[in-house]
Amino acid sequence: MRDRALVEAFAAALAAQSLADAQLDAFADDADVVRRRFGLYRGNVEANAGRALASAYPVVRQLVGDAFFGALGREYARAHPSTSGDLNEYGRMLPDFLDGFPHVADLPYLPDVARLEWLVHRAHYAADAAAFDPARLSGIPPERFAALTPRIHPACALMDSRFPVATIWRVHQPDHEGEIAVDLEADGEHALVHRPRWRVSVAALDRGARAFLDAVVRRKALADAVEAGLAADASFAADRVLARLVADAVIVDFAEP
Amino acid sequence: MPPKARGQGAPALAEAPTDATRAPLRDDRGTPRAFLGAGIGLRASHYRDFLDAAPAVDWLEVHSENYFGAGGFDLHVLEVLRHRYPLSFHGVGLAIGSPVDTPDAAARFERHLERLAGLVSRFEPGLVSEHLCWGALDRRHFNDLLPIPYTRPMLDHLVAQVGRVQERLRRRILVENVSAYLRFRADAMDELAFLAELAGRSGCGVLLDVNNLHVNAVNHRFDAAASLAAMPDAAIGEIHLAGHLVTENALVDDHGSRVAAPVWMLYEQALGRFGPVPTLVEWDTDVPELAVLLAEADEARARLRRATDA
Repeated sequence: MRDRALVEAFAAALAAQSLADAQLDAFADDADVVRRRFGLYRGNVEANAGRALASAYPVVRQLVGDAFFGALGREYARAHPSTSGDLNEYGRMLPDFLDGFPHVADLPYLPDVARLEWLVHRAHYAADAAAFDPARLSGIPPERFAALTPRIHPACALMDSRFPVATIWRVHQPDHEGEIAVDLEADGEHALVHRPRWRVSVAALDRGARAFLDAVVRRKALADAVEAGLAADASFAADRVLARLVADAVIVDFAEP
Repeated sequence: MPPKARGQGAPALAEAPTDATRAPLRDDRGTPRAFLGAGIGLRASHYRDFLDAAPAVDWLEVHSENYFGAGGFDLHVLEVLRHRYPLSFHGVGLAIGSPVDTPDAAARFERHLERLAGLVSRFEPGLVSEHLCWGALDRRHFNDLLPIPYTRPMLDHLVAQVGRVQERLRRRILVENVSAYLRFRADAMDELAFLAELAGRSGCGVLLDVNNLHVNAVNHRFDAAASLAAMPDAAIGEIHLAGHLVTENALVDDHGSRVAAPVWMLYEQALGRFGPVPTLVEWDTDVPELAVLLAEADEARARLRRATDA
C-alpha cells in the first residue's frame, strides 16, 4: 500500500530526528514549511513521552533535576520507545536503563528509587479491594485461624533494596515536612508499596514483617507466615503486625482452606 | 454497512447522538436531555471540584486511556460522576489509521480495543469517539495524532478499522477530524469530504472539531467556511471547541486558551448547518480553574439555545 510507505517515511523521520530531502516530496508544502512543521510533531512526540515519564518518576526527577531528567527522557525514548497507546504503560524499563546509564553512576541508589517509583505508579491503577472487617472472623472458631490464608491487596508490592529507598521516597513527597537529608550509608530497606484507599504510600518493613508478608504473597497459611516472620526475627510480634496490616488494608481478606 | 451495534442491547443513551442533534435542549419536564447542551473535558486537576460540589455543566468527556486501569482513584471518580452527568469517552491512543498489517501492529490494536471495550461495557457511556489519524507503526507507538493521507486506499483502510471497532464495541462511534500541520501531495480529497464518506460507508458518526478545522484552514490556506458549507451530509454527533496558539510557524492546536473569535463564528455556521449538536469545550495545556471552563461551556450553550430557537 502506497499509504504505508508514507506512514513509514513519516515514522522514520520522527525516529531519525530529521527529514531527508527525499521525504520532503511527500508533503504538499514548501520544503522550509515542511521542515518547521515536522518539528512540531517531533516536539509533540518527545513532550508526550517526557510528560508520561515525569508523571511516573517524580522522585527520580527531583533527584536529578529537570534539565537532566529531560535529557534522560530523550535517551530513554530512543532505547525503549513507547509501544502502547496507553502512556501510563510507558517507562517500565527505566530502572534497568538507569543501571547501565553511565551519567548516573555516582547515584548508585537511583535505579532502585526508580524501581520503587514504577511499583508506586502501577499501584495507582491496580484493582480495588475493600478493607477487611474483623467482625467477619467472629464466625470462625479460633482453632481454625492458623489454617486461614491471608489475601493481600492487589495494589501491594514488596521490594528489597540495599539503599534506604522507602525513606528517600518519603522525604521527596510534596506533603513531607521536616528533614529531607537521607543517610545514604544507612542500611537498606524492605519497602512495602500499598494503597489503603486511593492514595499510594510506601512503608519500610522490619525483617520479621518482611518475611511474614513475603509468605503471604506466596499464599502461605497464617501459621506458616507467622513462622517465617519468627524465623527472620525472633521478636516478631505477629498480633501487632497482623492488626496493623489489616488496618492499613494491606491484608484484605482471609480465605478458608 | 451499518454497525451491528445498534439495537443489540446498547443502552438508550447510545442512541442519543442521532436523535439528539435536532431535539430540544430540555425535555418537557425541564430536565436536560442527555448529551444536549454543553459539556467540558474532565481533567484530574478538577476532580476535587466535582467530588465536593455539583458544578453546572451538561455532560463530561474523558480521555478513555486514563481509565484503562483495573482500579484506583481515576475510576473511582468516574464511578461517582457517572450518576450525576452523562459521560463521553474520547480515545487518544487507538490510532485507527495506523497500519495493522504486521502481527505486532495487529496485536497492539486488538489489545487496545479490548481494553476500550472493557471500559465501554462497564460504563455504557453516551458517546464514544476516536480520531481520524494514525499514530503507531509495527511495535512503535508515537502517542500523537499524526496526519493521514486522504486517499482512496486510506479511506478503505479506515472503513475496515472503524467497522472492526464498532463490531467489537457493539455500538456506533464518532470519528474526529484532527489538526494536521502537514498535508500529503497524495491527498485526493478534502478532509471533511473524506470524513463524511467514511461516516457514510462505515456507519460511524462525525465528531466535528471546529477549532481543528480553523487551524487547518489557516495552516493550509483554505476557506474553512466554504469547506464546511460543501461538506456532504453526515451524522454530526458532537462538536469540539478549544483554544489554539498562534505562532509564526503555524497555528498550534494546544487546547491552552479560550475559544478564539473565528472559531466561535465557524461554530455558529456549523449549528446553522447541522442544528444544535452536543458541544464540548476542551482544555489540556495550562488547565485553568474550573470556572473558566464552565464560562466557556456557558458561551457554547447560549449559542446552542439560539440555534434551537431558530
